[in-house]
Amino acid sequence: MRHVRGFDVVRPLSIGMLILMMLPLVFLPLLSIFVFGTRNGLGTFWNALVAPEAVFALKLSMATSFWATVFNVLFGLFASYVLSRYHFWGRNALIVTISLPTAIPTAVAGFALLLLWGPYGVLGRFLAPHGIQLMFTAGAIILANIFVTFPLAFGVIKPVFDTMNRSLEEASATIGATRWQTFWHVTLPSLRGAIVSGALLTFARAVGEFGSTILVSGNLAGRTQTAPLYIFAKFNEGQIEAANAIAIVLALFSFLIFSVLFFARDWLDVD
Amino acid sequence: MVRAKSKLIEIDRKSESTTNTPQSAASVRGLSKRFGKSSVLENISFDVAEGEALVLLGASGSGKTTILRIIAGLEQPYTGKVILHGRDVTELPARERGVGVIFQSYALFPKMNVEKNIGYGLRIRKRKRREIRETVDHLLELVQLQEHRKKFPSQLSGGQQQRVAIARTLAYKPEVLLFDEPFGALDTQTRVHLRREIRALLRKVNVPAIFITHDQEEALELGDRVAVLNNGHIEQIGTPYEIYNRPATEYVATFLGAANILEGVVRGNYLEVAGSKLPAVLDREKFRDGDCVKIVFRPEDVVATKGDLLRSGAHRISSGIVDEVTFIGAYERLRVRLATSVDECKTQEEPFYLTTETPERRPSTSISITRSKPEANTLRLSTGDRITLALTSFTVLPIPRKPQSRA
Ligand SMILES: Nc1ncnc2c1ncn2[C@@H]1O[C@H](COP(=O)(O)OP(=O)(O)OP(=O)(O)O)[C@@H](O)[C@H]1O
Ligand SMILES: [Mg+2]
Repeated sequence: MRHVRGFDVVRPLSIGMLILMMLPLVFLPLLSIFVFGTRNGLGTFWNALVAPEAVFALKLSMATSFWATVFNVLFGLFASYVLSRYHFWGRNALIVTISLPTAIPTAVAGFALLLLWGPYGVLGRFLAPHGIQLMFTAGAIILANIFVTFPLAFGVIKPVFDTMNRSLEEASATIGATRWQTFWHVTLPSLRGAIVSGALLTFARAVGEFGSTILVSGNLAGRTQTAPLYIFAKFNEGQIEAANAIAIVLALFSFLIFSVLFFARDWLDVD
Repeated sequence: MVRAKSKLIEIDRKSESTTNTPQSAASVRGLSKRFGKSSVLENISFDVAEGEALVLLGASGSGKTTILRIIAGLEQPYTGKVILHGRDVTELPARERGVGVIFQSYALFPKMNVEKNIGYGLRIRKRKRREIRETVDHLLELVQLQEHRKKFPSQLSGGQQQRVAIARTLAYKPEVLLFDEPFGALDTQTRVHLRREIRALLRKVNVPAIFITHDQEEALELGDRVAVLNNGHIEQIGTPYEIYNRPATEYVATFLGAANILEGVVRGNYLEVAGSKLPAVLDREKFRDGDCVKIVFRPEDVVATKGDLLRSGAHRISSGIVDEVTFIGAYERLRVRLATSVDECKTQEEPFYLTTETPERRPSTSISITRSKPEANTLRLSTGDRITLALTSFTVLPIPRKPQSRA
């Protein structure tokens, strides 16, 4: 390392280099969303945002992501409890299986769901005659969201379960608490931080989901079109402002979630 | 001895079927436990009376925690029963037993403050708010933590945490309190202080308690009675005095502080040891003429004199030569090599062969003696001095007979 009059030149150089590399890769793309979106004034931006289809797409994204998050957090809690409390044959296989969905390409995930629940799918064909059609509805979007975000909450909650002091639960039991009371009063409070981070991660990932959603939802504007699908559709139609307005909202939204995750971690883990 | 034990169990079984021994607050009967193929506990039986403190004393891995966990319902026994106030609770889950466990790490709930921790047992029992508040106030006063009521466990010292843990169990009036190494995590000074405090507290609340420890001093001070555990079985149960002064086995003798052990032979109302006759009243059932025995005595049970003049009540065993003199605070410790070697038992049939002069080639035995300051000042001893040794008190233990004598 060369020092010029006690000044470490490598330091500013390497930091500059880092920022320079990130510029075209991350900063500029993000920046251009904001630049383009507000180029014609905030009025245009606002009008694009409150267009009924746009509002619907945002609401649908939030609602489907919300339910997928609720399910996956509950499932993650349950799966973590079972898999860290009991040791049984095939336990590791189950853990790997739970973690698998994120590794599968999202388009494949959507396709798989279609093959199962679609009108001619393995199960879907028995439901279709009864007028039950799961695919191309909001339910399908939730299913797809659940699939692609399956291990996220589990992955955050399970390690906390594993390292939790078992004698707390034993103490609660000897004091007279039922399993449920112990879970509610003793186990859950210690999991609060993990649950919130798991939920935020799941939600952020679900809101942005595109590949599987476009296959299972049918992409019907005003009915099954989520925000990412809306951006894609409007872009294809050449309505850049419309696409851009929603893009800004989604980008800000993920900023928000990750700031919470980043800055609130410590706060979530203390009392 | 083995016969006596099995008799005891039989008697208890009979009384169980009729009245369920109302006087004992907690009992275990014939407990055994296995983890996989290894047997961890064998035939453990004991009773704890109302208001009594029993200490389970044993080396690491002897099975103390396992016994406690079985009583608490956190572990199932392989055989045996747990009886609390006459009720067989062996099949009951932990939460229905009403046992208070003070875990070694205290296991306070980290997200609840002191008040909430103490009130937990009542809250889950759905008691009225006012009742909970009154009980918590009372207990906070009892364990003197009023000014810490809003603090969280992480903000308390070890001793304070322990008091919260005790108060938390007292809140629901447990049938018995179980302490697993309650002072293990604390420094020596605090340990001594806290065990006196807990002792006083237990007297106040009059709840029977079982303590676990591997510290013999702690066991003697805490317990009304002490059960010495070795490798999953109980070697002896008795008052601290009995355990210390009349150990039933060599293990107990050596586990509770320093002990000297010499071999001897039963000769009527005497024991022949190291060439001397030691008067002893022995149980004729256990000891027969010519039997080999172990004579166990504490370092402080030995009187050393220079002449042949003995203090009354002390019995001469041998003479010896001082090998080493060390001062350990209030006491002086002597290492003394016996002039007569002791291995009477190898030749049971020829009693007179051993009593006379010791041939040089035999290994000499040495014993340790402690003397208080006044004693040491009255008779100053130094290395090389020849002294007469006498015992003021001792215990005789049988040595299992050699297999050939059975045939
Ligand atoms: N869950 C378990 N599975 C297998 N073996 C166990 C289990 N719990 C205890 N043991 C074994 O049982 C024996 C007794 O253990 P226990 O914890 O009761 O000993 P302890 O007297 O409390 O020792 P320490 O003073 O070290 O706490 C040990 O050999 C231990 O390895
Ligand atoms: Mg233990």
